[in-house]
Amino acid sequence: MAPLRYLLNRLLLLVPTFLLVMVIIFLLVRLLPGDPAIALLGDKASDAELAAFRERLGLNAPLATQFMLFVSSVLSGNLGTSLMLRAPVWDVILSRLPATIFLTVYSVSLAVLIAGPLAFAAALNRGRWPDTVIRAVFQVGLSMPVFYIGLLLLTFLAAQLRLFPVGGYGKGLAENLYHLFLPAMTVALYTSAILMRNLRAAIIEVLDAEYVQFARAKGLPLRLVLGRHVLRNALISTITLLGLSIGNLMSGTLVTETVFGVPGVGRLMLDAIFGRDYALIQGLTLTFAVLVTLVFLMTDLIQSRLDPRLRLS
Amino acid sequence: MKKTLFAAAVAATLALALTGPLAAQERGGTLKFARYDGSKLVDPIYAERNPDIWMVGSLYSTLLERARDGSGLTGALAASFSQSSDGKTIDITLRDGIRFSDGSPVTAADVVFSLDRARNPDLSPWAGLLGAISGVTGEGAKVTITLSRPDPTILSMLATFNTAIVSRAAFEKAPGATDQEKSAALFAAGGPGAGSGPFYLSGFEQGASMSFKANPYYWKSGADGKPLPYLEGVEFQIIPDDATRILKLQAGEVDIAEFIPFARIAELGTDPNLQMELFPSTRIIYSPINTRATRADGTPNPLADKRVRQALNYATNKEALVSLVLHGAGAPMTSPLMSSSTPMAVKTDPLYGYDPVKAMELMQEGGFAAGTKIKLTTLAGSADDATVFAALQQMWTAVGVELVAEQVDSPTRGAKNRSGEFDIHTYGWVDDIADPSQVVGWLGHTPTAKAVGTGWENKEFNELYDTAAAEMDPERRAAHFRRMQEIYAEEAPLLFMYETPFAVALSAKVTGYVQTPLGANVFEEASLQR
Amino acid sequence: MTPASPVSAPVPPTRSSRSRELLRAALTKPGLMVGVGIIALSTLLALFPGFFAPHDPNAINVAAMRQPPSLPHPFGTDMLGRDAFSRVIWAYSVNMQMAVLATVFALVIGVVVGALVGYYRGLADIIFGRFVDAIITLPFLVLVIAVVAVLGPGLVNMYIAITLVGWVYYARLMRAEIISQKTSDYAAAGIVMGYSDLRIIFRHLLPNAITPVIVYWMTDMALAILLGSSLGYLGLGAQPPQAEWGVLIAEGRNFVTTAWWLSLMPGIAIVLTGFGFSLIGDGLADLLRPRG
Repeated sequence: MAPLRYLLNRLLLLVPTFLLVMVIIFLLVRLLPGDPAIALLGDKASDAELAAFRERLGLNAPLATQFMLFVSSVLSGNLGTSLMLRAPVWDVILSRLPATIFLTVYSVSLAVLIAGPLAFAAALNRGRWPDTVIRAVFQVGLSMPVFYIGLLLLTFLAAQLRLFPVGGYGKGLAENLYHLFLPAMTVALYTSAILMRNLRAAIIEVLDAEYVQFARAKGLPLRLVLGRHVLRNALISTITLLGLSIGNLMSGTLVTETVFGVPGVGRLMLDAIFGRDYALIQGLTLTFAVLVTLVFLMTDLIQSRLDPRLRLS
Repeated sequence: MKKTLFAAAVAATLALALTGPLAAQERGGTLKFARYDGSKLVDPIYAERNPDIWMVGSLYSTLLERARDGSGLTGALAASFSQSSDGKTIDITLRDGIRFSDGSPVTAADVVFSLDRARNPDLSPWAGLLGAISGVTGEGAKVTITLSRPDPTILSMLATFNTAIVSRAAFEKAPGATDQEKSAALFAAGGPGAGSGPFYLSGFEQGASMSFKANPYYWKSGADGKPLPYLEGVEFQIIPDDATRILKLQAGEVDIAEFIPFARIAELGTDPNLQMELFPSTRIIYSPINTRATRADGTPNPLADKRVRQALNYATNKEALVSLVLHGAGAPMTSPLMSSSTPMAVKTDPLYGYDPVKAMELMQEGGFAAGTKIKLTTLAGSADDATVFAALQQMWTAVGVELVAEQVDSPTRGAKNRSGEFDIHTYGWVDDIADPSQVVGWLGHTPTAKAVGTGWENKEFNELYDTAAAEMDPERRAAHFRRMQEIYAEEAPLLFMYETPFAVALSAKVTGYVQTPLGANVFEEASLQR
Repeated sequence: MTPASPVSAPVPPTRSSRSRELLRAALTKPGLMVGVGIIALSTLLALFPGFFAPHDPNAINVAAMRQPPSLPHPFGTDMLGRDAFSRVIWAYSVNMQMAVLATVFALVIGVVVGALVGYYRGLADIIFGRFVDAIITLPFLVLVIAVVAVLGPGLVNMYIAITLVGWVYYARLMRAEIISQKTSDYAAAGIVMGYSDLRIIFRHLLPNAITPVIVYWMTDMALAILLGSSLGYLGLGAQPPQAEWGVLIAEGRNFVTTAWWLSLMPGIAIVLTGFGFSLIGDGLADLLRPRG
């Protein structure tokens, strides 16, 4: 019964959270200087045209009324229409979301592939030169500005050596993997740095733990110790970290998508802010919040499966 | 076996390479084009932003068109046209056998439908430009347009994107209750039938890509006597980042990259695989100066005195700006109200030549206290604006101005322009029609746009503008516009800056691509050499 | 580099000997020492850029535009003929300021709020929990960009934006630490002694709970530089003609093949400074980690 109650409790707590998310984003969007009329009709429109446009969109209604309208339409599953793109917000998000999700999953996978083995190598050689070198290299990765690294990779690997295409998304899985390799790698450099640090600490913690020391003293081979205890602990710690930083990972694609010309939601968000597309900004943020919340929940569930100590909390 | 195959392949490649460049316009091939921004809806009347407006002509033909050398108007879908002596009736005869891209004929009924749509203020934001039309009737190949008053710009308007002809049948068939919904549905569905331009829309992915396919029924013929276009299609990709767009061209993934930063023109010009084109444009870059007696915060506005505004213009070394920002690819403005290629532009060269001594005198006469802070509002993220600011700050220190920067995004700048909460801000303009009335109305006519937000008001100027709007005699009309330019130059509601070309880089394989002075992307005579 | 607590805490007399011990341990950590060295040098450059920069960073020279590196201009000149080396040096004062000012208020607010809700729990804690959930489910960069767009671009507004969003992360960390410290013996002892709540929170619990927050702060300073330069790159951070690394890279991005030094030097400066902060953060975490 306990896990179910826990889950229900979590879901109940989501109600006020989401209400707050909606209030924050609704107010923030309306505080932006300029409004959809100015952004959309452009400089050449007359004041009368702007006024008529605002009236038609209901932008002159009191804020409370507009907010109630927003909440009720969201509850009925309608995110509204993007003025900038002249299309239903949900359709637009659906068409752009796959690229971002693909990019995020791709870069996380690359990061795990890079960080995993190196974290083991560092932890097992703690304090000796391989550890120092690996840690130093990843520290550098942690401080690299995505917009600059992206530019360098594009210029040298793509445009000059022609190993990869310059931006775009491609069609089909193979092309997606090929087109998104450089942007995924750029994000992965950063992600793997955090991951490596975290994993290394987790592995060392287990290696230092009394029960592991005991097992090794009893003559259990290192290979078995690693397989039995360390891997599980490393897995838990990785999932926790990735789950918690999923929000940052996805919002980080904003800059990456712009530099690499990937048609995802990150770039769309930037366009929506600069285009004062209220419905689109709200819809994107809500979608984002739902996705992040889902990942949080999933992280919790996986954690409690893997780690019996957490089941009761 | 393998070896012979390889040798054959080499021979074939060589043969291709040898015969390739001989034919001037090869047929076939798909041109790949990297754009700075995507279209949202390419429809003659709903096109509001440049990325939409500039593509209308590729999908829809107009009745008339401007001759390529700019000399005058010729028939496009119209075989012939004539205007009555009182200027109030226009008779048009359509070409024989013209068809939409699905093969159905273009009839007078389509023209009536399209023009009624274009002049309906409930539908089209551009309806004001066709305000003089009181009725459109048609029968067979004959169309008659009646006007309530003479309008000197009306023939030009029939060669402008917003009067392009759409298929009435296609609109009637399209799903949706309103014209907007039908237009959006037609655009979303793509495929032939909506227009009679050189291409039809064959694919569209919001914010990512767009593709055109050749219209086999296009009315215009190429040099080989067969219908244009030479290309099989055009594929557009949206790459907003300047550097990435150029890399894409250099990597050979696209054939054309538009809006090349001026700083890179020289470098790309030396690349043997590329051609660097600077298409003449009607684009002007200028900075509106707030002329109101008080600033938005209620303090007296030092820029309200016209001598101070003149002084700022004298204190600005425009030649230096052109070399710093445009790297020489452009020229200082010579008409205060329009680009030098806009009809009826009066050239004054130099318009406010660099004269710091005179600037200092005028500053003192205008009562400008040295050390006064003036704020220049620029566009965030614009490298050009950052350079302009840095240069102006240095130039104007000499006349006692302490220039401070304020970077904002585009809608914020638009809001500030309308509310008058600025001292000076950067701005740009590209003509949408081949006539000075639009740009002059925007920059100087107070009722239109508070003289581009400056709050400047001049009774004589406004009267001249209204008179010119109904003046059918070309010489008298030109005289009115000449006088307006004199007044405007003297009053200096703007910091007059420079004109820039459209900088486009093309692969060496591309011939015949044109961007018109109004910005339209013209692919009908473009071809790819293989 | 030992974090100073706002009020001297009445901990056992071993404290000064523990600091000395920590200092000695710190000296044996090469990573930490390198980090301290980098940041000390960066701070020096940030405080006295005029002393190290050979030229006026904003002086335009039309006659010397985009020159390659030379003796008078070690990093060449930019598209306005400004000395690129001097601009990178002057940017130190902007970017180091960014590291501190974009994080320190978030740190203080976060520590105070986190400590209070962690100690008192109750309704305030529940409301705080919802607020934290709302903020962390929203995209960080988007929130910051939106707040900057509301307030208008510029460094001060950027600091405000980052603080408005960033304090939540400190508060969350602090709250968790205080909750776990509250169950400790000395907290219970304080309550038995009848000390005031504030005294218990700020003199007993805080000094022990603050270590992970300080470690996070170091990483956050590196992040602040990255974030600030990203915003500068997008034109939402430092205002022209002020030199800032992100802006410098943005200015040089069109010349990666022809004048690579324009973007490489500020790029190296960002990486190096971030590296310094990360090393300190990592070293401190290692040093202050409870043993056993």
